[in-house]
Amino acid sequence: MPVMLSRRELLKLGFGASLTLTTVGVTASLAGCSSAQPAAGFMVLRDSDLVLLTALLPTVIGPHPALQREENAAEATLRQLDRSLAAMSSAIQKDVQELLDLLNLPLTRVPLTGVWGAWEKASPAQIDAFLVRWRDSRFDLLRQGYKALNQLLSMAWYALPMAWAETGYPGPPRV
Amino acid sequence: MPVADPFLQGVARGWRVLDAARLDEGKVFEADVIIVGTGAGGGTSAEILTRAGLSVVLVEEGSLKTSSDFENDEAKAYAELYQEGAARMTKDGGISILQGRTVGGSTTVNWTSSFRTPESSLNHWAEAHAVTGLDAETLAPWFERMEARLGIAPWIVPPNPNNDVLRAGCEALGWHWSTIPRNVRGCWNLGYCGTGCPTNAKQSMLLTTLPAALEKGATLIHRARAERLIVEGERVLGVSCRGMNATLSRADGPRLELRGRHVVLAGGGINTPGLLLRSKAPDPFERLGRRTFLHPVALTVARFDQRIDGYYGAPQSVHSDHFQWREGVTGPLGFKLEVPPMQPCIMAALFGGHGREGLARMGRLSHSSVAIALMRDGFHPESQGGQVVLRKDGSPVLDYPLNDYLFDGVRRAYLAMGELQFAAGAEAVMPGHSQARLSRDWPDFRAQVEHLSYALHDVRLASAHVMGGCAMGDDPRHAVVDSRGCHHQLENLSVLDGSLFPTSIGANPQLSIYAIVACLASRLAEEMNSQRHP
Repeated sequence: MPVMLSRRELLKLGFGASLTLTTVGVTASLAGCSSAQPAAGFMVLRDSDLVLLTALLPTVIGPHPALQREENAAEATLRQLDRSLAAMSSAIQKDVQELLDLLNLPLTRVPLTGVWGAWEKASPAQIDAFLVRWRDSRFDLLRQGYKALNQLLSMAWYALPMAWAETGYPGPPRV
Repeated sequence: MPVADPFLQGVARGWRVLDAARLDEGKVFEADVIIVGTGAGGGTSAEILTRAGLSVVLVEEGSLKTSSDFENDEAKAYAELYQEGAARMTKDGGISILQGRTVGGSTTVNWTSSFRTPESSLNHWAEAHAVTGLDAETLAPWFERMEARLGIAPWIVPPNPNNDVLRAGCEALGWHWSTIPRNVRGCWNLGYCGTGCPTNAKQSMLLTTLPAALEKGATLIHRARAERLIVEGERVLGVSCRGMNATLSRADGPRLELRGRHVVLAGGGINTPGLLLRSKAPDPFERLGRRTFLHPVALTVARFDQRIDGYYGAPQSVHSDHFQWREGVTGPLGFKLEVPPMQPCIMAALFGGHGREGLARMGRLSHSSVAIALMRDGFHPESQGGQVVLRKDGSPVLDYPLNDYLFDGVRRAYLAMGELQFAAGAEAVMPGHSQARLSRDWPDFRAQVEHLSYALHDVRLASAHVMGGCAMGDDPRHAVVDSRGCHHQLENLSVLDGSLFPTSIGANPQLSIYAIVACLASRLAEEMNSQRHP
């Protein structure tokens, strides 16, 4: 399920990937730039996470008819994800937040994902290219990041009854 | 509700069941025995010790959820009933770990498969790990007793189509297969064992041993984490605990202290060694937390022309040991073949893939069958398992490095499962791997498997069986506890759960825990009573 990231690993990765970042730059941005507060009405996910995950969701899930048809599909998925995250240990919540920070902070986002502008403006092709790049990366950290994003979003989506018809799942029995 | 909830009825009759979050700060409880954990080990111990006339306090980190709460709702169950909200995994993220965290522990959410400990495993423990007094002959009456206690018998209803793929494939290839014994009474064959049995058919600890102990006056405190043992010299005086928050993500509630003549640790693999590590328990030979095993599980997904509907029906009713022992007890990695329940969340996590590819996989869920191989770790020098370590916040995590010995097992398991699924009539099969594709025939599948990368995160691995970490054995240089489960250095401390096992079991472990703990807890009760009434 989700990812395990340490700043030390990130630094190691940064040098390995020839990022044009200084140690000071990465550490300072990770420590200081991200808001720590959950978004209004959420327990774990922050405003920046909601923007990012809303942008990623359609490319991760694919052209699922209900995701395209139901107006509240993305919001319902993120609320489901937030409930799941709230039950995870503090340590895992922190790991997930660090993964999302990595994607949100321009200093790390640009070299690691190839997405230059804001996530909400990224094209599906750009997001797909980033996912494939992480899936096939030689760095453990990025392959883990791909697995985590995919599992978090797809488990949250397929927890919703609106997602089931497309899979042929008639739903749970009622006792 | 047509289904009665006997646990809530017991609470209404006056069982002492307390939510730690509602207790006063600093409250102290005393009993003859403090039991940490309410799963297979804690539940079994509690029934035996209370029946012997000893007073017992049980503490459980998870919350009390009973059949009235079980709604066949995957996401709700993963959040409420599983360790770390079902997001537990090994330190490098290589293996996802499903382990219960609720009253009844993993027995509340397991898939009911109940095997006796294989005789080969017991013999290996005696030969290689100095385990004494737990041979097959000694344990036979304990297996019989726990099988009777928990309604364990081979499943008589025909297997669901997902399990029938395993049966048909084995039949076609001439491989061993057999019907799985399950711990159920009056099972409705729904298929939702993993989200908590809504009909109270599963004979989990929630329905059996814990009610028996509570009837005898035991106290159960739930939503409290055992933070550390209070150790003085070579004795344990008690356990410091702290209440959990509403979502069980942190222990920030009232502090409690549990004091007893004897302390039984039954928090399961990872958590029991974690508690001992936090308590800085003596560990002169550095054995604590080492040799923790997982039965790492690899999988393949097969697509069929006909509906499989693997989310319905008893999730596990057929297994194959064709590849378990054929290369010797201590040879290349052996594995047991089974199938999992196939509700959509867990399958979305296992199928992998994103975009059109991921959607195409999920779009055929109703026509898919999954095979799993549970790899028998801990029997070969190249299979040392993992080591439990503490994170900065004191919570335990399992460092379980993946190596070539394990990956060789994964590759052979993929081949076995693919061959089996094609033999059962699959139209296409895919290995559980990040770069997998569907193969339309067996030669193409075989070629795909030979060319995959066997690397961390590429190979999709999971575990539902955490074993070891407080290995038993009579040589303190190699074991944390002796063959009675008594700690080698602390005189009034026992470990009575799956963390005792010196290797993995080679079968779903619940009945191994029940029978071995029943045997050891009965010896403990005799010893404690003879001290009290010499």
